[in-house]
Amino acid sequence: MVSDPIRTVDQLDVPLAPTRARAALPLPNLRPLLAWIMPPLIALLLLAIGVEIWARATDVSIWVMPRPTAVIEAFVSDFGLYFQEGLLTTGVSLAGLAVGTATATIIAAGVAHSQLLERAVLPIAIMVKVTPVVALIPLFIIWLGHSVEPKIAIAALITYFPVLVNAIAGFRDVDPRMHDFFRSVDASTWEIFRHLRLPAAVPFLFASLKISVTLSLIGAVVAEFFLSGQGGLGALIWIEQNNLRLERVFAAVLMLTLIGVTLSTAVVAAERVFSWRLDQPVAAS
Amino acid sequence: MPLPSHVAPTVIKHPIEPEAEPAVQLCGVSLTYETTAGARLEAVRPTTLKIRAGEFVALVGPSGCGKTSLMRVIAGLQPPSSGEAFVFGQTPKQAQRYKRLGLVFQEPALLAWRSVEDNIRLGLELNPRENHSRNNVEQLIEMVGLLGFQRYRPAELSGGMQQRVALARALAIDPPLLLLDEPFAALDEMTREHMRYELLRLWGVSHNPQDPPRSAVFVTHSVAEAVAIADRVLVMSVRPGRIIADVPIATTRPRRPEHEHSDRFINDCAIVRAALRSPTTPAVPLDAA
Repeated sequence: MVSDPIRTVDQLDVPLAPTRARAALPLPNLRPLLAWIMPPLIALLLLAIGVEIWARATDVSIWVMPRPTAVIEAFVSDFGLYFQEGLLTTGVSLAGLAVGTATATIIAAGVAHSQLLERAVLPIAIMVKVTPVVALIPLFIIWLGHSVEPKIAIAALITYFPVLVNAIAGFRDVDPRMHDFFRSVDASTWEIFRHLRLPAAVPFLFASLKISVTLSLIGAVVAEFFLSGQGGLGALIWIEQNNLRLERVFAAVLMLTLIGVTLSTAVVAAERVFSWRLDQPVAAS
Repeated sequence: MPLPSHVAPTVIKHPIEPEAEPAVQLCGVSLTYETTAGARLEAVRPTTLKIRAGEFVALVGPSGCGKTSLMRVIAGLQPPSSGEAFVFGQTPKQAQRYKRLGLVFQEPALLAWRSVEDNIRLGLELNPRENHSRNNVEQLIEMVGLLGFQRYRPAELSGGMQQRVALARALAIDPPLLLLDEPFAALDEMTREHMRYELLRLWGVSHNPQDPPRSAVFVTHSVAEAVAIADRVLVMSVRPGRIIADVPIATTRPRRPEHEHSDRFINDCAIVRAALRSPTTPAVPLDAA
């Protein structure tokens, strides 16, 4: 039955691209990495020096504009505090992201399968989206108490919409011929979802996660403003602002920036590992 | 006679003798679409057709004549507006359930996130059936000339190789009926001419030598392709499509590329082309070689 593999045709059909090593990501070459990181770092440094010179020259009040050197001093000397509060904020942000993403993905799976559900759910989802959800924080505090729950709820609510929209698009972005093949062997709705729709949606989910991860941080910080007794960088900023210790406000903001960069980078890294497509679709928000 | 739809086959694999049941039977199948403007568009006129088990039938016709729609009816992907379709005496839905259909499309339609091997296994993984007949996947990979490419992703293969994966995927479930919808239309001419003989070689691949010979329905634009591979060429008219000629191709099997230079081949092509140009159809440019 078995004949020889056809060598003649292998010459006609040369593979277009060499195999990508998928499992083992090569260690990044430091040189191009530095070429990316150095210019913005130098620009930032120059900006800080400029502010420092301006602040010293005009003798602007430290109640208005702290000197960059004072900010760095505050950041370094009290790094433990900013790190600890930062962990708290990161935790709230990630918990909210997880809840928001999971909820949105589940709703999207339903919506992608049912036009009726789409008509019922999508307008409500858009209503929530156009409402500034931070306006709900006082309510959430009443409902969920003075603890971590209202913060997570706000972070989740602020993240869910981009995930919902992209997940619906992803679950539906299925080649009709592939769908035909699944139907031709009488695959169940679950099999079509598990083996066709879900993998097809992965690049869309990552595209929305890139947006959501920073949104969840915003939600967490704003909620912390309201719950300044419960810790977190937002609460710290609120307290230090009342104390007029602006260098400490700036140091907390600096920590938030570092968290934002870290989380976004983590999403991109996860995408490289878990997503099958390299040309990512543009996320809708 | 076709079984009534409520009668389940007693044996899962090939319950019906090839002599007793045709591979495909269309009884007055027609297709009418409702356009958005509310007008009725007749795509396929009532068509009655019988394809014997083991027969390789090519369906040629101008663009938009309903060849693909007719094939989708046989595959159970589209319900006919009227009439009935049977595959080995069963409804197309039953044929799907017992995995008796092997589909290949113009585009490979492979899962980009799966390797070549996992794409070929797809049909076996879905709707798993205990007694289902299956071809040996390793053997299939070798037969379609993809040995060494098992771990590749579809995007890393050329168009011809991707279409071989699609062919292997269709054959993995060892279906008694292959449905091929212009499978080589997107390939370059050289690959395309080679692939038709590859297809004929693979057509008979079955894990079980006692199986009845496999049937195939092959939709194409190319007269030469149709005459080269088929036992019978069915010619369809422009929309509303109907079968206007049924041309038997007597050339013996196995077919070889040399046959395409024979007088008989050229003569058969001429008959099919004449049917395509017959008064019921306006002269349609065909991309036939």
